[in-house]
Amino acid sequence: MEYKAGKYDIVVIGGGHAGIEAALASARLGKKTAMFIINMDTLANMPCNPSIGGTSKGHLVREIDALGGQMGKAADACYIQSKMLNSSKGPAVHSLRAQIDRKKYHMYMKNTLENEENLDIYQAEVTDIIYDGKIKGIKTRTGAIYESKAVIVTTGTYLKGKVIIGEVSFESGPDGVFPANELSHSLQRMGIELRRFKTGTPARMNSKDLDFSKMEVQYGDDNVKTFSFDNEENKEILNKKQIKCYLTYTNLDTHKVIKENIHRSPLYSGEIKGIGPRYCPSIEDKVMRFKDKERHQIFIEPMGENTNESYIQGMSSSLPEEVQIKMYRTIPGLENSKMMRPAYAIEYDCIDPTNLNLSLEYKGLEGLFFAGQVNGSSGYEEAAAQGIIAGINATRKLDKKEPLILDRSEAYIGVLIDDLVTKGTNEPYRMMTSRSEYRLLLRQDNADLRLTEKGYNVGLVSKEKYNKFLNKREMIYSEIERIKNKKISPNEINNNILEKLGSSKLEVGVKLSELLKRTELNYANTKELDKDRPDLPESVQEQVEIQIKYEGYIKIQLEQIKGFKKLENRKLNSDIDYEKLKGLSLEARQKLNKQKPSSIGQASRISGVSPADISVLLIYINQINKKGDEFSHEND
Amino acid sequence: MLTDTIAAISTGGNNTGINIIRISGENSKKIIDEIFTASDKLDHQKIIYGKILDDDKVLDEVLVSYFIKPNSFTGENVCEINCHGGRRVTLNILELVIKKGARLAGPGEFSKRAFLNGKMDLSKAESIIDIINAKTKLQTKIATEQLEGGLYNIVKTEREKLIELLAQIEVSIDYPEYDYKELENNEIINKLKDISINLKKYINSYDDGKYIKDGINVAILGGTNAGKSSLLNILSNSDKAIVTDIEGTTRDIVEETVIIDDIVLNIFDTAGIRDTEDVVEKIGIKKSFAIIDKVDLIIIVIDLLKGLTEKDKELINKIMEKNKKYIICLNKIDVSHEKVGKVKKQLQSFKNVIETSFFTKEGIDTLKNKIAYMFNLEQISNDDSIIIVNQRHKELLDKSYTSLNKAINEIEKNIGVDIAEIDIKNSAKYLGEIIGEEVTSDVINKIFEKFCLGK
Repeated sequence: MEYKAGKYDIVVIGGGHAGIEAALASARLGKKTAMFIINMDTLANMPCNPSIGGTSKGHLVREIDALGGQMGKAADACYIQSKMLNSSKGPAVHSLRAQIDRKKYHMYMKNTLENEENLDIYQAEVTDIIYDGKIKGIKTRTGAIYESKAVIVTTGTYLKGKVIIGEVSFESGPDGVFPANELSHSLQRMGIELRRFKTGTPARMNSKDLDFSKMEVQYGDDNVKTFSFDNEENKEILNKKQIKCYLTYTNLDTHKVIKENIHRSPLYSGEIKGIGPRYCPSIEDKVMRFKDKERHQIFIEPMGENTNESYIQGMSSSLPEEVQIKMYRTIPGLENSKMMRPAYAIEYDCIDPTNLNLSLEYKGLEGLFFAGQVNGSSGYEEAAAQGIIAGINATRKLDKKEPLILDRSEAYIGVLIDDLVTKGTNEPYRMMTSRSEYRLLLRQDNADLRLTEKGYNVGLVSKEKYNKFLNKREMIYSEIERIKNKKISPNEINNNILEKLGSSKLEVGVKLSELLKRTELNYANTKELDKDRPDLPESVQEQVEIQIKYEGYIKIQLEQIKGFKKLENRKLNSDIDYEKLKGLSLEARQKLNKQKPSSIGQASRISGVSPADISVLLIYINQINKKGDEFSHEND
Repeated sequence: MLTDTIAAISTGGNNTGINIIRISGENSKKIIDEIFTASDKLDHQKIIYGKILDDDKVLDEVLVSYFIKPNSFTGENVCEINCHGGRRVTLNILELVIKKGARLAGPGEFSKRAFLNGKMDLSKAESIIDIINAKTKLQTKIATEQLEGGLYNIVKTEREKLIELLAQIEVSIDYPEYDYKELENNEIINKLKDISINLKKYINSYDDGKYIKDGINVAILGGTNAGKSSLLNILSNSDKAIVTDIEGTTRDIVEETVIIDDIVLNIFDTAGIRDTEDVVEKIGIKKSFAIIDKVDLIIIVIDLLKGLTEKDKELINKIMEKNKKYIICLNKIDVSHEKVGKVKKQLQSFKNVIETSFFTKEGIDTLKNKIAYMFNLEQISNDDSIIIVNQRHKELLDKSYTSLNKAINEIEKNIGVDIAEIDIKNSAKYLGEIIGEEVTSDVINKIFEKFCLGK
């Protein structure tokens, strides 16, 4: 039985981290939006680690926040421990990570979505996308047909999900939720090729059975930083009481159990066909691949404030359940552990992201967008980052506006999407700071300076938030200006201060900005030298310090970006037939025709396209530009 | 890519009378302004006479023409330097131009730019593409052939070390909580210094390569009648001597190239030697010191009949001061054997003192062997140590070396390994450009190959 259930502008399939940001962006930009989720209680679920952020992922969360997304605010509201990673290293690689109360996070997001004006959420399995050269809507398992002009697919690991535990395997989504088996066929009918990826998660234990006295305590930071720029001065969030995590290790006994049972691992027996990520290998993978390592770290992370359930980070596995029990119990503190949930591997269908445009719209299927794990990424933050971009661009598509595309020099989000779409991926893709060419500029501390304006222009950032941002920016710029003009004379008082700070004396007067470049000096400890210093918020002071201290290096990166932008700005039309371009190598023709890059820059990052091919392309577009009109007339 | 300023010698061959260096791009005039002095002003399609200066040193007297875009061969601002020095002078000027910010042009690059800027008509399009393609391929082919042997391996080895180090640094950044011992700063510095020493060795080998390809620049200095012209005659009359003397009326240095036993010697100021027998006297002490700057080796001829004169001493002191390679010939050993003892004693603190008679040709073989030994030539031709001969390779090695030392400096100053890492990455990138590999994915692959990470 089919029935007409309603009319929307945009439909989002999936209620995970990508789906949420996509749905919120679309609704907030004024589009009538419907979001479908297989089980309402798994909205914003964290089926793997109960934490948000981490190296480079923390950057993504802050970028999402600057653009007007929700993840940062939700994480701030629901964190139970917060830590700035890499704080002993330079500012470019500082990364915020927070342990999250998983249920609270779910409720926070669910409630946010429930209260969103243009958004409706439905518990239903979408079985079909209705498409006849144009997106018409979707159909659910119960026969409801919802019309829409665009669809955003954010199915995560649910598409034909298959859970594997040792010799046992069954159709399932994550966390025991049932999978989406039908939608894959619908996508294939539309001509979309699907691939199989694999990921996994460790067991959850009841902490009442664990002996924490045998483990090292892991505390959060005293001086908490928030993900959201809105919360920078929110005392309630900053002063929240934090929980403890614990650290323990595997040992040779653990490894013995694994080695003795390795033949029962589906990864080794060939049962698992999906391609797993190198960055989150199972414990059996680690033990087999790194035979010399006598121990591996295991972190115990609470799943929330009002539960005993703990996540055993570092020990994901797909070994049989009884082997798992034996294996976990070899670990100090886990001798009496009982698994509340076993570790498992999960296989799922995903698409080849090189079939997407940088806007995340599927090439050749107008109005169909993809975001999150279904694109071959992994991680909540990577998913959310794609979600907000897909939500924005589906909206802009309906409004006939140019898509919002962040490039590699503007945001980690840009690096993430460009990597996926241009280079593709053969394994679940994880963001890392080392993937960014311009790490020194794409810092987590300046995500607002980089992206708030874009968020405002798109329409996701409110006038109020934007004005507050402009004010902050003005404070930063004028203070930098002041510091650059502030002269410090080589008098006795100043030299005494410098001596006390372990810095060499001045022979001649210098600008304060020059002094700040000395490693032993910083903005805070030079206050005595700088009597007329205004009272500024901490986040402003931080920016002033970083921007002055690293000025030389920042300048070099800005220069590199100029070169990069020149190639990005040389656009390539999607109607070019590369088969007909004489001079291109065979491989380049095929790859270019398949991917249809939007610029010379993007083309240059496709593997198999050589510098010689790029020369040919440059020549080609110059001919087009030169002949301009007469050419295009012929084409009409 | 298409926006920087490029330069290259656009005339072929080693022994052409005139060489043209073409500079194309936004900064071409700026570069010329920095190195060219003339009484007239440069203007579109005008040819101006003047001097190329490296600081205050005159490299050559030249004619420079200037074409303002789009009315030039490439459609960009173009300057052309017509220099009439030998190969060596031309290369010196090219190096100066590159030092001032131009990049060495790739094969076919001027034509490519000309084409891109619409200076050629459409019918030529396909043939130009073919040429560019063919050239790039040929270049790749030559490069691979050249690279296949030693160079490829050494660059790969050093780059591999950098990638390994980067992976270790990156892993501590991207996985801060894993129990891998983080590298201490001094460990990183030691590793970088190791690589840096090797790179420097290869960079220096470019000079060795140059000595083989382009010859050793030699000045023969000494007092009147000491035997300089005799020496020159002995050298020039050897079997394979090639004389490439260009009648230079306006220049103060005339070059003569002789080849003895496969060693190429470019002898400076031969005219001066022949004319008056006393270069110092003729051109003045100051100018003769200027010659010292320009050459790789100075042969000082001392007349044993006169003993060590004040002028000789002054000359030797100057050479020491400039830290130049030298050979002192105690000449006329055949007729003044008794004086050798005294002069040798006076010069006992100096190496490379030999006894010669240009009349009986005694000591000439010793002289040749000494030269070969000093410039490592025998070693180079005998063992298979790597010599960098390609200027592009040398440029990239230079850049890699500079980045590496910047990184060392940054770590020493405690600026932070995440900053230094940018320079280490660049260093690896430049090496990668020699052998055509990319850094980022290599580092990430290495991280997962070497380290055990994950949830």
